[in-house]
Amino acid sequence: MKKILIADDEPHVLRVMKMSLENEGFAVETCANGMEALACIEREHPDILITDIQMPQMTGEKLCRHIQEYIPERGFLIFVLTSRTEIEHREWSRQIDNLQFLEKPVSIRNLIERLDAYFAGATGGESAA
Amino acid sequence: MRIKQRFGLILILATLLVMFATVFILFEYQRDNRERLARAQGLDLARLLGSMAWHELIPRHGGRGFLDVLARGHGNPDFAYGALVDLDGTIANEAVRPGVIVPPKPISGEPSGWLGQRVLEFGDGGRLARRYIESHAPVFEAGKHRGFVRLGYFEPSLAFSLSEMPFFASLMLPIFLLAPFFYFLLHQQFKPLREFSERFDDLVDSSGVGSVELQPSRELSDFMDQFSSYVEATQLRLQALDREHQDLQMSSKLLVYRNNRIDAILQNFPDAIVVIDEAGEVSYANSKIERLLAVTHDEILGKKPRDWCRDPNLVPLLTFGDVKSGLQSNEDTLEYRLDEGTVKTLQFCVYPLFVPNDDTRILGRLVVIRDVSESHLLRQRQNEFISHVSHELKTPLNVLSMYSESLLREGADDEAYRIEAVNVIHDEVERLSTLINNLLAINQYELGGVVAQRKHVRMHEFLEDAFENVIKSRGDNGLEFELDIPREMSMVYIDKDLFRIAVNNLLTNAIKYNKPGGKVAMTASEDDDSIEITVSDEGYGIAEADQKQIFNKFFRSTDDNIRQQTGHGLGLSLARQIVQMHHGDLTCQSELGEGSRFTIRLEKVSTQIMDAAAS
Repeated sequence: MKKILIADDEPHVLRVMKMSLENEGFAVETCANGMEALACIEREHPDILITDIQMPQMTGEKLCRHIQEYIPERGFLIFVLTSRTEIEHREWSRQIDNLQFLEKPVSIRNLIERLDAYFAGATGGESAA
Repeated sequence: MRIKQRFGLILILATLLVMFATVFILFEYQRDNRERLARAQGLDLARLLGSMAWHELIPRHGGRGFLDVLARGHGNPDFAYGALVDLDGTIANEAVRPGVIVPPKPISGEPSGWLGQRVLEFGDGGRLARRYIESHAPVFEAGKHRGFVRLGYFEPSLAFSLSEMPFFASLMLPIFLLAPFFYFLLHQQFKPLREFSERFDDLVDSSGVGSVELQPSRELSDFMDQFSSYVEATQLRLQALDREHQDLQMSSKLLVYRNNRIDAILQNFPDAIVVIDEAGEVSYANSKIERLLAVTHDEILGKKPRDWCRDPNLVPLLTFGDVKSGLQSNEDTLEYRLDEGTVKTLQFCVYPLFVPNDDTRILGRLVVIRDVSESHLLRQRQNEFISHVSHELKTPLNVLSMYSESLLREGADDEAYRIEAVNVIHDEVERLSTLINNLLAINQYELGGVVAQRKHVRMHEFLEDAFENVIKSRGDNGLEFELDIPREMSMVYIDKDLFRIAVNNLLTNAIKYNKPGGKVAMTASEDDDSIEITVSDEGYGIAEADQKQIFNKFFRSTDDNIRQQTGHGLGLSLARQIVQMHHGDLTCQSELGEGSRFTIRLEKVSTQIMDAAAS
């Protein structure tokens, strides 16, 4: 079973995504900020990380930079939830390997399709950025 | 003029001078002649008499000697005496003019001094001394030196003699007659010149224009005609030159005026202007350059940009290294570091300055430098604001989208989930609606469409209500809350809804930016003049540099702790505007790591605070 870690400070988002993805057969862990996400990565070794950008204590950007710097051997894909694919995000996101954007509002169906494609070994990266 | 009028007198004086000079020269000439004659004649006669024997010169008894004959016969009026003296000076014979005594002066005994001439001065009793030119020669007797013969002549003087009067008179007469004649002649000859001179003086004095009309004498006629025409031509030329000079002066004044005007325009231009010539050197710069580039006008004039430019990125722009054709305008915006603490965003517009009527040749380039720091900052803040608003809008939209989709997919059969989803959707719609309303209110306020709807409000109840509402809406966040408001407070005349926004924003910030477990306190106090409401926290605090900007619209601190919290940089700006609308003031005191303290101060009079008892 593929493990998915979701980091977002919005509890409703965590709740509905967790339920939807679990229904699709994924094991889902949730956390409310970047700091919790880092601890969870160490503990659970997820296959996918889905993170919001604006979170208290540690933002999604910092989380990604931290992962890139301190866990370079990680094999998991990162989905970043963003309101817009702003230029500022494009700039730093180029420095992060294996990262894709998910623009809000997120379609759960679309997310599941991309996850399936990713796990099936398809190259789904281009369609998201 | 006076010298010219006395020309006749000067001429007469000159004539008299000439006459006296002539007489003096004549006298001198006569005196020289007489002296020369006395010397020559005396020596010749002395030598002649010396050749005779001593006894021949002694007159025989009762007869006249040679000397006597000589004195009476040789006719020289200057002859004074002739004497024959023996060796000891005793006079053996003499012949003298009446009243003359032979000077008793011995002659040298040396043979070399026997023959000679000397000048003697000798006074006779009470009479004045006279000078004599004496010639002497030795006299021998039978080969033996027996004595001397001495012949004396009066030394001629310049004394005027009445006997010569007719001669001098005849000499003076023609001179006297010639002087007036020459004076008259010269007077007549110089008359036209004098008239010309007077006219010329008049011209010079009056600086007027006119011709020089003369009545010259025959001798000067041609000269005067030519001179007169020359003067007329010169006058015309002078008039033309004078007109040209006036025109030039006028043009010069006009040019100076225009130059000053253009300079004033350029100096007062809101942007910095630099003109760089073909050699790449600065030929003009207005005073704004000092404010924008922190260099003085004198520091850059006549120098190339690389010699004074502090930012190396700016040099290529000013040296046009990136304008290949050189004939095109160029525009760029860059950050320019003035000093350690100040960075400005400057916009550089470079325009080629073409040679008039030739668009292919350039004289140099005009560089207009504009400070776009504020608009750049504003644009940055607006971008940030849009980003935040976008996030704030899309977050509830995201929740709505996910819940609605999940209801469609798998949750429709689960009653509990359906109820939960509908509640969440309802809450998020409310949240979205409130957010949109707030954005519209801010926009309306910015456009000046908000008018305060003032009512009498009890301050204690108002603050208590606002405080509790904020605590409730923020849920349990582990913070400590403290409210300290006097039970009895005056009524105030405010727009309750607007003022609640201001207080809410301060309380929300105190909660958002507090440290975990920190305290949020709201206190109020009142004196005779004013009411003060204070909201304080124990959070991150605000850096000193940020404190100056926190009330600016769209401003968000760059501090990571602050950035982690959602916000759009409008809360404090809006709060201050609302307080100011009520004629109050909102201030901030803060220290990094210690927390912040915001104080609203309302003047009782200006806000028409009404005493509870009076109302």
